[in-house]
Amino acid sequence: MSQATPADIENLVELFNRSDWEEMHLKTDGLEIFLSHDPAARPPGQAAAAAAPAAAAPEAAPAATAAASEPHMAPAVTAHDVVIPAGMVAVRAPNLGTFYQAPKPGAPPYVEVGQKVDADTEVCLIEVMKLFTPVKAGVSGTVREICASDGQMVEYEQVLVIVEPDA
Amino acid sequence: MSIKRVLVANRGEIAVRIIRAAHALGIEAVQAVSAADRDSLAAHMADQVVVLGPAPSKQSYLDPKLVVHAARSTGCDALHPGYGFLSERAALARLCAEHGITFVGPEADIIDALGDKLRARAIAEDAGVPLVPGTDQIASAADARKAAAKLGYPVVMKASAGGGGRGMFVARDDASIDASFDRASSEALEAFGDGTLYMERYVENARHVEVQAAGDGAGRVVHFGERDCSVQRRYQKVVEEAPCALMPEALRSELHASAVKLLSKLKYKNAGTVEFLYDVDRGAFYFIEVNTRIQVEHPVSEQVTGFDLVQAQFRIAGGEAGALPRQDQVRLARHAIECRLNAEDAANNFLPSPGRITRWAPPAGAGVRVDSHCTDGYLVPPYYDSMIGKLIVTAHDRPSCVARLADALDDFAIEGLTTNLPLLRYIARHEDFITNNFHTRWLEQTLLPAFEQSIKE
Repeated sequence: MSQATPADIENLVELFNRSDWEEMHLKTDGLEIFLSHDPAARPPGQAAAAAAPAAAAPEAAPAATAAASEPHMAPAVTAHDVVIPAGMVAVRAPNLGTFYQAPKPGAPPYVEVGQKVDADTEVCLIEVMKLFTPVKAGVSGTVREICASDGQMVEYEQVLVIVEPDA
Repeated sequence: MSIKRVLVANRGEIAVRIIRAAHALGIEAVQAVSAADRDSLAAHMADQVVVLGPAPSKQSYLDPKLVVHAARSTGCDALHPGYGFLSERAALARLCAEHGITFVGPEADIIDALGDKLRARAIAEDAGVPLVPGTDQIASAADARKAAAKLGYPVVMKASAGGGGRGMFVARDDASIDASFDRASSEALEAFGDGTLYMERYVENARHVEVQAAGDGAGRVVHFGERDCSVQRRYQKVVEEAPCALMPEALRSELHASAVKLLSKLKYKNAGTVEFLYDVDRGAFYFIEVNTRIQVEHPVSEQVTGFDLVQAQFRIAGGEAGALPRQDQVRLARHAIECRLNAEDAANNFLPSPGRITRWAPPAGAGVRVDSHCTDGYLVPPYYDSMIGKLIVTAHDRPSCVARLADALDDFAIEGLTTNLPLLRYIARHEDFITNNFHTRWLEQTLLPAFEQSIKE
């Protein structure tokens, strides 16, 4: 495996996607791969080096909002890189819906940049047809960025909030 | 065209088909996908793509609220449900109506009425459409035995609330009713939330025929001829053709008139199919059900009439004047046959075989059409049904159409995964198929044993 090619890694990711495994951690000479369905998951014994499951979960496209969507020439299928800085964790949308930063209009937002959160802290709401589902941070740390704007449509796995985990 | 932008709430070949029809009419297409279909052909063809949720259908394609939310958020004024998934859920049509989105299909109340098989039978009976002799709801094996004594064996029991063979069984005597009734009822309860069964007389030499129709919602209904879909395995169609070549002309006219009468009475809107059992020995047909969606096998009707039925769906839904042709403009000519290509191993109990297609080389030429979402390198995901495309061939009559089918199947090359191509080739060259001498149980009873034997040799 020391001479792993991109195709080898692609095959591994495919295998993982087709399996019912929660996580996969592979370490050989010069190569370490950690795959997980949980955006907040980490490889054992390592704080941050592995980003969220990169190939298994491509970055969702920041969606066009209602009126604005001119037809894209090339569909945003896996494009629109939201770069997750090293050591940071992305909180992603559990499904398509409308993003809300606050429990109701005019109320203070769930979280702001710089705020401390723990795994159970609610960071935003995702609304589907008047059904509001809170999204939890999934990790304890500090909010570093809020990546969606209030009332915006977000897609499945789109990055909503970036958290810097506690050391 | 009053529709500007449509949400395509489906996947696979039908999503591709819907996008093509939309674009031909100047309608923008927004493709709703699951995470597994981000890189699909439909996603590449659409003007915009939105990811609904993870791969499992329940969290993506099967969630009406999610789909309608996606339509609203992307500024769509219409939604096309395709077939399968949510296409016959009245809840989706209702949700669309509530939010000012044009549902490309019939109204919710019509879907509800026709989706309940007992209500559908009552509607057909009321319209003077012949029904297979049968019963109302039956609650116990004892009642079923009494009803069977009146109807005469063999009989078939079916679930009131659903289809697809769930809760269905054939009984040839009292003992087989006692053996199967409770199991079938609980199967129906589990699948449809309703364990009620009903009984019908069983036709031994049966053809499955169905009339493709479309209505304008004001009582005018036009038919596009009939299809014969008798090559089935476990009530799943494998080969479909148009017309039903062995049906006498007078009976065919009656069949078409019955379908039109039923749908006109309901002021049916958009495309629909009325399914019948054709009792070849008695020269009679009986109503089965109405499918309130575009069907997998719609291309054979397109091939023999020259009409684009998916475009017609959009034009009807958009309220376009003249969307529906006059009946005398629909001329039935030629013969067409469709085969469903599945990623499954027909030699190994039809085991699904998802995986990477390393080579996709469909046939081409006069009278050859392939509707598919597959390409070289496409990964067939394991989460959905195994259909990877449809081969449709057309010729001036049935014998030349069958010959063309056999050649086109031979020319079809698919590598990287196991498909049912060997089975389809075997069907196309079987004497019974060539001579049009089969019935709805022929595939299971005659062809599959012969096919399995041929593999061993």
